[in-house]
Amino acid sequence: MKILLAEDDLISRRILEAILGKWNYDVISVTNGNDAVDKLLEKNAPLLVLLDWVMPDKDGVEVCRIIREKETTSPPYIILLTSKREKKDVAKGLDSGADDYIIKPYDENELRARLNVGCRMIELQNALAEKEKFQGVLEMAGAVCHEINQPLMTITGYSEFLLQGISEDNPQFNALHEIYVQGHRLGNITKQLMEITTYKTKRYLQREIVDIDQASQKKPENQEPNSKE
Amino acid sequence: MDLDQHTILVVDDEESIRDMLKMVFVNKKFKVKTAESAEAALELLKDENIYIMFLDLNLPGMNGIELCKKIRKNIPFAMIHAITGYASLFELSDCREAGFDDYFTKPIKLSMLLKTAKDAVEKINRWRKK
Repeated sequence: MKILLAEDDLISRRILEAILGKWNYDVISVTNGNDAVDKLLEKNAPLLVLLDWVMPDKDGVEVCRIIREKETTSPPYIILLTSKREKKDVAKGLDSGADDYIIKPYDENELRARLNVGCRMIELQNALAEKEKFQGVLEMAGAVCHEINQPLMTITGYSEFLLQGISEDNPQFNALHEIYVQGHRLGNITKQLMEITTYKTKRYLQREIVDIDQASQKKPENQEPNSKE
Repeated sequence: MDLDQHTILVVDDEESIRDMLKMVFVNKKFKVKTAESAEAALELLKDENIYIMFLDLNLPGMNGIELCKKIRKNIPFAMIHAITGYASLFELSDCREAGFDDYFTKPIKLSMLLKTAKDAVEKINRWRKK
């Protein structure tokens, strides 16, 4: 799990880097509020954040406010780590958008446990997002199948009907046969859409699209339907 | 096989599908009646003796499943077939419970459709003789 550590004090930062490393976190360190914001706005930004309050440029509370204002489907889990210990500070910190608040000097075990809470929240968020995406895919697949299969039925029906009325050496046979075959190929694709059981995507130019073969766990049918059965 | 004594009912809200299926069945010497909704189908069945049916499931108003249940009550030995544009296993069990004899997803091969109609005729002829 990647974690963003924002701490301007050199010694505190080094100690935390060591402890977090010991706990197998992949640590990205910054020393001021501006860098913290920049890192969190990058693509594939860390989802777990350990944020000092008092820092140069922007302080921790300011960083929280800025990050929370951004619309995102994967908001980071932010823990404020600070020597400010008044109840009103705690309230201010949480109000600004922090998910948790640890007072320095911290107990190592407590820090570890609270970071774990953050990991659990992130995993839960990811699982929910996947579930929503999958629901969306199923709903779209249903709509697409239904709409496309209607006109498709007419196309394959008429082409099959016409093919039965002409012989193979008729000059129009090949074109008609191709319409029939491609029509049923479309029908096989909609059948695959109806069999989607998981959310799987593949790269398509700059974005991701649903990988129908993987998602329906079946290979596409390549056999040509026989027109003269 | 006295096909022309048997009428087929096709119920689908899409006109192009009704027309296409009618042409295909008439070409093979069946008599065909069509309806664009479940309500229209039920009206039709009041005056006609029809035992072979192909019902779209997704109809405006009453859906194909409800229509099948109603027909099943009144005409126990009707051969009722479902045709649908979207199919899931969930729908299949609904169809079985509603009383459908068979279930097809669009696009259907005409050869399969015609075989189904011919098999239905054979069954009905056989049952009526008993």
